[in-house]
Amino acid sequence: MATQDKRSDTSDFPEIINTDNLQSNMKSIYYSRTFLSIIGGVIAGIWGFTGFTGFVFYFVVMLAASFGLAAKAKFSADSYFDSWNRVLLDGILGGLMSFVLFWTFAYDIVHIF
Amino acid sequence: MADDLVLDTAIRNWVLVPLSVVMVLIGVLRYFVSKLIRSSQNPDTKAIKEGQAVIRARNLRSAAHLIPSKSFRSRRIYFTNEENGLLYVPKEEAQKAQAQMFQDPNMAMDMMKKNLSMIIPQTLTFAWVNFFFSGFVAAKIPFPLTPRFRSMLQNGIDLSTVDVSYVSSRSWYFLNLFGLRGFFSLILGEENATDDAQRMMQMSGGGFGFDPSKSLGAEKDSLDIIQHEWALPKMEHRAQDVLKNLAKKL
Repeated sequence: MATQDKRSDTSDFPEIINTDNLQSNMKSIYYSRTFLSIIGGVIAGIWGFTGFTGFVFYFVVMLAASFGLAAKAKFSADSYFDSWNRVLLDGILGGLMSFVLFWTFAYDIVHIF
Repeated sequence: MADDLVLDTAIRNWVLVPLSVVMVLIGVLRYFVSKLIRSSQNPDTKAIKEGQAVIRARNLRSAAHLIPSKSFRSRRIYFTNEENGLLYVPKEEAQKAQAQMFQDPNMAMDMMKKNLSMIIPQTLTFAWVNFFFSGFVAAKIPFPLTPRFRSMLQNGIDLSTVDVSYVSSRSWYFLNLFGLRGFFSLILGEENATDDAQRMMQMSGGGFGFDPSKSLGAEKDSLDIIQHEWALPKMEHRAQDVLKNLAKKL
């Protein structure tokens, strides 16, 4: 999950962005969020979270993921992405469906056997 | 009715797991089949030429701030020149090309093949689920939903006192349909045709050669609009600063 540096000129008006690197960084964010939402779903199901608690758990996992991604990008979004929103918010809703699926699956297998 | 139903273990073994496994396998199969079908395309020379010209113009547009003004302008004239510029298409030719594209059988067949390969497995699987797995409670979703969802989620179950959390296998099918997209993107790599939303975006945004005259005209207009601003003259100062910082640290 290596993020690649891209040159961005912060002092001038037009920003120079290496689009290949930016896209590969976005992909690594997407993969890590998807993977974490699947694992989080299985964990939530095994632990027996129901209802609201489960969704809260999902957002906690996503926050931890955002924090980890920000730490990996050395807390300076400018050198790896074009905006902070991408690091923090991208892919959260997409992972929600996978989370719910694996949460239901694990919950049923473990608790309603 | 008791709030906590105890469901048969056999349901777990013979409904939930096989349905998920079947959907994963069908998704993988569809990915490989779409790859095979896509490789048997005969490209049209003219369409490719125009497509590549459009790509070059787009590159010029996106990297315009990296080259000095004079070279940008000379490149732009090469593209948009009235007489022999790459992007200039005279009006009669434009209409002829459009008519040809719409009658072109290859393009229509490709679109149809892609649509079919997407719709048929979903329809078949849905019919299979309905036929075999209807009429009993399949799973319990861990979160409560409002009673309005009852008719949607509990299709085969005819008891109205059962909690809305207990759903039929049809809703398990839909849950799998949406939830496995992320899973597929992990195991199949980036390019997989299993994501409906992505496929729609690709088909509408990437009409490669499907409407050449319109895209050429659009590129020409956008090239004309650009105001050139060279970002690099300050680069020397920035490089100087960076090197000075490095030299201080040594």
